[in-house]
Amino acid sequence: MSHDDHDPAVPKPPDLQALSAFVDDELPDEAHAAVLEHLVQDPNAAARVADWRAQKSALKALCGAPVADEPSFIVVRAPVPWWRRAGLAACWLVAGAGLALVLGPLASRLPGGLLDHDPVGFAKRADIAYAVYTPEQRHPVEVAASEEKHLVSWLSKRLNRPLSIPSLQEYGYSLVGGRLLPGEAGPAAQFMYENPDGARLTLYVTDIPDNETAFRLFRDGNRRTFYWVSDHMGYALSGPISEGKLREIAIDVCGDLGGKPESWQ
Amino acid sequence: MKFEAEVISWLPQLRRYARALTGDSAWADDLVQDTAERALARWAAFRPNSNLRAWLLTILRHLYIDQLRARREITVDEESAPWRNLEAPAGVVDGLVLRDLQRALYCLPLEQREVLLLVCVEELTYQEASVALSVPVGTVMSRLSRAREHMRVLLTEGPTRKSAPLKVVRNP
Repeated sequence: MSHDDHDPAVPKPPDLQALSAFVDDELPDEAHAAVLEHLVQDPNAAARVADWRAQKSALKALCGAPVADEPSFIVVRAPVPWWRRAGLAACWLVAGAGLALVLGPLASRLPGGLLDHDPVGFAKRADIAYAVYTPEQRHPVEVAASEEKHLVSWLSKRLNRPLSIPSLQEYGYSLVGGRLLPGEAGPAAQFMYENPDGARLTLYVTDIPDNETAFRLFRDGNRRTFYWVSDHMGYALSGPISEGKLREIAIDVCGDLGGKPESWQ
Repeated sequence: MKFEAEVISWLPQLRRYARALTGDSAWADDLVQDTAERALARWAAFRPNSNLRAWLLTILRHLYIDQLRARREITVDEESAPWRNLEAPAGVVDGLVLRDLQRALYCLPLEQREVLLLVCVEELTYQEASVALSVPVGTVMSRLSRAREHMRVLLTEGPTRKSAPLKVVRNP
């Protein structure tokens, strides 16, 4: 036990941890004896120790004996042997391939048909963000293209990764600016572009937990959104232009941003 | 003893601990089942000659914390709080005192409640508790003394209490 610097003869009163360890008989013999001695002359500490002891036995009484009245058995699910799992997976693969063969030609003729995937949440959000912000004349963006450097560093910081803004100049669209939006799991960025006729496109960028690379189309009214995921980032390009044109731009944007558009061409 | 048999031999203790920790016997039974199942599935991860009970308690704790997160949306108010539905404690000691004790126990934050139960009820040594909770012994000691003091304050100054602090309790 440590002693006060100025008077080594007077032992320091035990702190709460020492009293607690005393109650549990966890102190070394010497320290235990010292606490015991101290308790004689410190009624507060003695009362605390008494309370804690009472607490301890009351907790035991409250929780009772080990609960043995239940049958002592547990359900163990037998692990499926690997060959059976592999076999099952192979069966599904074959079935899936068969189904795709049968339905594939049908699906391409049925827009929004059976095999069309549900648009993932972020594409819907991108589409809604497009619908909400592009009609804005006075405040279409939070930070204008004139402050592009600031825009990039701000949104990169909020999305926690370096972003870059692809140029759509060759399609006649110039950057208007960008804004921060709430995404599904965190922040999202929206960049807005405009052509001389006033038509607007938006590129929506957000963090995505899964990492599939498929390139998909989502339609709502006259708006179209091409969306894809690359390196855990979801991108969605939305606009009211023709599907072919939008697709062409999206493929370019994807390539610009480090994706692999070859895989879905 | 075979590993399986040894796991099974700890089930009654695990069940008591899980009931005290959750304050909900159905939840506790599920927790024990999940713990045992996981332990048996992962027996290879258990180092022989280390403390099986502490290992089981660690598994139970992780499962409990996971399930707690999943259930967080369910808000627990005073009226439907789990200890309200527990049976009144048996008459070995003053039932009212135990009621208050029970209430105070579930007012503690989880990390104080678990260390208090492990040391006082399950009678783990500080060393064993440190393994089960995956924290240093010093942390066990400081959490424990804080838990005790917290309980003491709740029991002596509890707003619902008019009578004297915990005194009438005897060791059963």
